[in-house]
Amino acid sequence: MTKPRAFDVRRQSGFAFVALCCFVLLYLPIILLVVFSFNAGQSIAIWEGFSWRWYVSAWQNEKVQDATVLSLIIATCASLVATSVAVMAALATTRTGTFRGSALVFGMINQPLMIPEIVTAVALLIFFAMVKVATGYTGLWYLIIAHSAFCIPFAYMPIRARLQGMDLSLEQAAADLYGTPWRVFRMVTLPQLWPGVLAGAMLAFVISLDNVIITEFAKSAGQDTLPTYMLGQLRRVVTPEINAISTVLLAISVALVVAFYLLSKSKKQ
Amino acid sequence: MPRGESSDGARRMINIVALSKTFGSGATAFTALTDINITIRENEFFTLLGPSGCGKTTLLRSIAGFVDPSSGSLTIHGDDILSKPPYARPVNTVFQNYALFPHMTVAENIGFGLEMLDRPKSEIRSVVGEMLELVQMTEMADRMTSQISGGQQQRVALARALAPKPEVLLLDEPLSALDFKLRKEMQIELKRLQSETGITFVFVTHDQEEALTMSDRIAVMNKGRILQVGGPKDIYDHPAERFVADFIGDTNFVTAEIQSLEGDTALVRLPSGRQIAARSAPDGAVSGPVTIAVRPEHATLEAQGALLDGLLKNIVYFGTDTHYHVMTQDGSTFVIRRQNQPDAAEDHKVGEQVGISFNPGVAQVLRD
Repeated sequence: MTKPRAFDVRRQSGFAFVALCCFVLLYLPIILLVVFSFNAGQSIAIWEGFSWRWYVSAWQNEKVQDATVLSLIIATCASLVATSVAVMAALATTRTGTFRGSALVFGMINQPLMIPEIVTAVALLIFFAMVKVATGYTGLWYLIIAHSAFCIPFAYMPIRARLQGMDLSLEQAAADLYGTPWRVFRMVTLPQLWPGVLAGAMLAFVISLDNVIITEFAKSAGQDTLPTYMLGQLRRVVTPEINAISTVLLAISVALVVAFYLLSKSKKQ
Repeated sequence: MPRGESSDGARRMINIVALSKTFGSGATAFTALTDINITIRENEFFTLLGPSGCGKTTLLRSIAGFVDPSSGSLTIHGDDILSKPPYARPVNTVFQNYALFPHMTVAENIGFGLEMLDRPKSEIRSVVGEMLELVQMTEMADRMTSQISGGQQQRVALARALAPKPEVLLLDEPLSALDFKLRKEMQIELKRLQSETGITFVFVTHDQEEALTMSDRIAVMNKGRILQVGGPKDIYDHPAERFVADFIGDTNFVTAEIQSLEGDTALVRLPSGRQIAARSAPDGAVSGPVTIAVRPEHATLEAQGALLDGLLKNIVYFGTDTHYHVMTQDGSTFVIRRQNQPDAAEDHKVGEQVGISFNPGVAQVLRD
């Protein structure tokens, strides 16, 4: 006798096929991209044998070097700023009583997730243009500020989740034992919050590293991050060098996501 | 021992006057505390006893500073503490879930309060050593709190709260997570710690037995109000209200009518027409129909023609004692508890007519 089974989507006919299609669509292009980054020939579509030459050429390309340095500087600064702001925002939205408009505040913090990116980009372009006219400054800060802003919700989410999951009585116990609010935060809240803060920072870092649209609109002439450099290259001669750079970016992202996963798993007691 | 309000012998420590707390507002408002007035004396083991949701934890958290009362005053040694944040109040709390810091060792947990008070390292070390010894956890000093058992966590939570030598220790159902045997041990342990340290304990529990065995005085709470404050024996023998009589121990309720009142002794007429002296509750009724409470072990089974007559409906044997369920004339059941003697033959049979008797003064006139 078999018991009547509950509805299970995995037993529906065609499930395997649809699932396979999705995975192929998601991963086949990426796999091809990685494979052709090792192509010995000039083409990104015709295989001519294995070689590291495009990695070497990318490594030696001064423009790629400059773009990488810029990308890393922006991503590091943006993730630091965004994470600090996100910690404060998360504390304010989880450690205070519900106040009038708390839902509105929550929405506003996450605004960059909802507004079309191109709108933000155009808005920043116009705003920065006005600032440039007024001040004459054309440096890196525009990009750092722009990246920090749109990275905030990505850093905010894991930090807020962590704070909400934390036992409030720990902070009360610390306050009860004569801990002033700042010391309670430093001695009890922050050590518990670390995994969330690290996860938020890593997420913000990856998001900043990947960004094209806002960067393209907000950057000053001559500034290029890795993604905007690659976009520029695609308009000219396309060689597997682009594949090689993409593969490295992919590796960094995957490494950070894996680290994020391990971190969130290991610290849950 | 003096009963009731504080005499000059014991110094008043915590003074709570007209304290109220309402959560929320408008239609969803919930009143957790209504007009609380208590005086807690120095070196006292004071228990807040009541069912869950009665407001006892809210009252404790008001003293600790995690709840902001809506009105009223709360002083410790005459100092108004309601205006102070939790970290500036001379009280420490043992939390129901212990709330030990998981990223610190046992010794670091115990030393936390002193560290926050910026005491010198050497003092912290020696106090932590003393505390570890006091709760018999010296060997566990360097363990993380996740590596020790529930009973040990309980001891660490106690030691952590005692280490800064607070004027008052607040305990929020600290024994409820322990199993029966450990709970019994910790009850004795807590009593010992209280007398050794001389710190005033304010203890919250819903367990009437725990309250009776440990407390110097008990405040019985229900629905945000304090119904009665007194010593364990006082509360048990002379409950002032039906809720108190019912919540603590087993009780028989009998309707009666006050015939006359002199001091705290009332002459009441029972449904059988017989009269007996009973203790009246303060601020209770002075005449007319009332309810009196009689504890099962304070009544005896007699031949017919006693204070109350009835039909023996059931005999329940419990080993140490036997319960006789008697249906009285008005149809209610009266339970009599009799301690068993070795090899004594049962001299009553179910279905026979019996009488119920109790001594003058054991019956308590209830306020409502």
